[in-house]
Amino acid sequence: MEHHVGHVTQIPEREALIVTINGRSIGIFKVDGRLYAVKNVCPHKQAPLCRGTVGGTMLPSRPGELEFGLDGGVLKCPWHGWEFDLSTGECLFGVSDRRVATYPVEVRDEQVYLKLR
Amino acid sequence: MGAGDGMRIIDSDVHPWINGDIEGLLPYLGMAWRRRFEGRTRLPDHPLRPPLAGATSIRGDARPPGGGAGGSDPAYMAEDLLDRYGIEHAVLSSIQAGKLATLPNTEEAVVLARAFNDFFLNEWLSVDSRYKLAACVAPHDPLEAAKEIRRIGSEEGVVAIFLPLLNTLMGNRRYYPIYEAAQEFGLPILIHPTGTEGGFQTSVAFAGGVPSTYIERHTVFPEVAMGNLASLVFEGVFARFPGLKLVMAEFGYGWVPHVLWRMDQNWREFRREVPWIDREPSGYVLDRVRFTTQPAEEPEKEEYLLQILEMIHADRTLIFSTDYPHWDNDVPKSTFRSVPEPTRQRIFYDNAAELFGLRTPAEV
Repeated sequence: MEHHVGHVTQIPEREALIVTINGRSIGIFKVDGRLYAVKNVCPHKQAPLCRGTVGGTMLPSRPGELEFGLDGGVLKCPWHGWEFDLSTGECLFGVSDRRVATYPVEVRDEQVYLKLR
Repeated sequence: MGAGDGMRIIDSDVHPWINGDIEGLLPYLGMAWRRRFEGRTRLPDHPLRPPLAGATSIRGDARPPGGGAGGSDPAYMAEDLLDRYGIEHAVLSSIQAGKLATLPNTEEAVVLARAFNDFFLNEWLSVDSRYKLAACVAPHDPLEAAKEIRRIGSEEGVVAIFLPLLNTLMGNRRYYPIYEAAQEFGLPILIHPTGTEGGFQTSVAFAGGVPSTYIERHTVFPEVAMGNLASLVFEGVFARFPGLKLVMAEFGYGWVPHVLWRMDQNWREFRREVPWIDREPSGYVLDRVRFTTQPAEEPEKEEYLLQILEMIHADRTLIFSTDYPHWDNDVPKSTFRSVPEPTRQRIFYDNAAELFGLRTPAEV
């Protein structure tokens, strides 16, 4: 079922607009013009995940070397720092099998719509 | 057989003694070095001694009939330990070599490490082929230590490298030349409490402060292993040296589940700080680190022992040791009686045979 969230300019860059739909708290993110919707509950310890930060992370590397990447694609929980792929909700690099639910979101005539099952 | 049930046994922690410390090593030192050590041939003891007869760790009843300290006569030890319990191989590490950690002088430590190894190769391994050596190196100079590994690493019977630790965690890159050489020769690094912890400025310091009794310092030895394990794993040493293996001798094992779980938990949270760790940290430990059994822990209920063994995957990670001739030695027939086969046999023989590359001629 489709829900109207608001005008696209209401969604800040790299920071969640948190909405409640059917009692479910969901964060809507905008990164470089692309929209994401993520359930606002961390599957680890039920923290308000979408109050975390969007950014990049250190990619797997050789010992002693650092390589930063995935900028704008990583949602980091404000509690224990678990990192999730913003688009799939999966934990990065297989550190855990747990994942956070994500939802399809789209823009029509500058209005944002979220699809919930 | 010593365990009373035909079980095969490798003892991974046995301590030979050199009467008179450096006095006994003099024949293995050049003339100038003999002069240098004149009048100062004793290696220092930690001031907190065990409250036992003679204030020594060595069992009074292990004294050889021909005289000298317990553990100083290879022929008597062969009879009193190897024959008595049917031990096929005994891995020797020298507590006196552990005291190299007290020496502020690098050259002296390097020269003595070499003399220790020549002494044991010549006076122990040649006496009985059941003796195997964890050859020592001086941690003061890792490049010299690597040279020593390359000097003696191919000698028959050398099965490990005993690294007495200074107060620098093992993940630190100063140690890497040692790991590289050990890996090159397929020799595991063996660490053991040196007995100098908390007692000397150069030695490993205990966490939080200085223990004030022997009972206290003996209780907290595992701290040293915990810190070094986290350091090795997270600094990426096992990723840098894919052939490197480690023996943690006499540090206990009941603490291992906690540290494994805590490392994995922290990795899920802070992987990005150590992005070279691309698998659960506990996996490195299970694959590369082995723990010795002595002192066998005495949990409130015997079933807890079996649970701990399951938690640490003891059928891969645990290796039997007596710690002969020390006061707290464990003998095979009274150790791990409740542990079922085939885990018991893996602990008493198979795990160590795989680790040290030890097989009887028939198995080779």
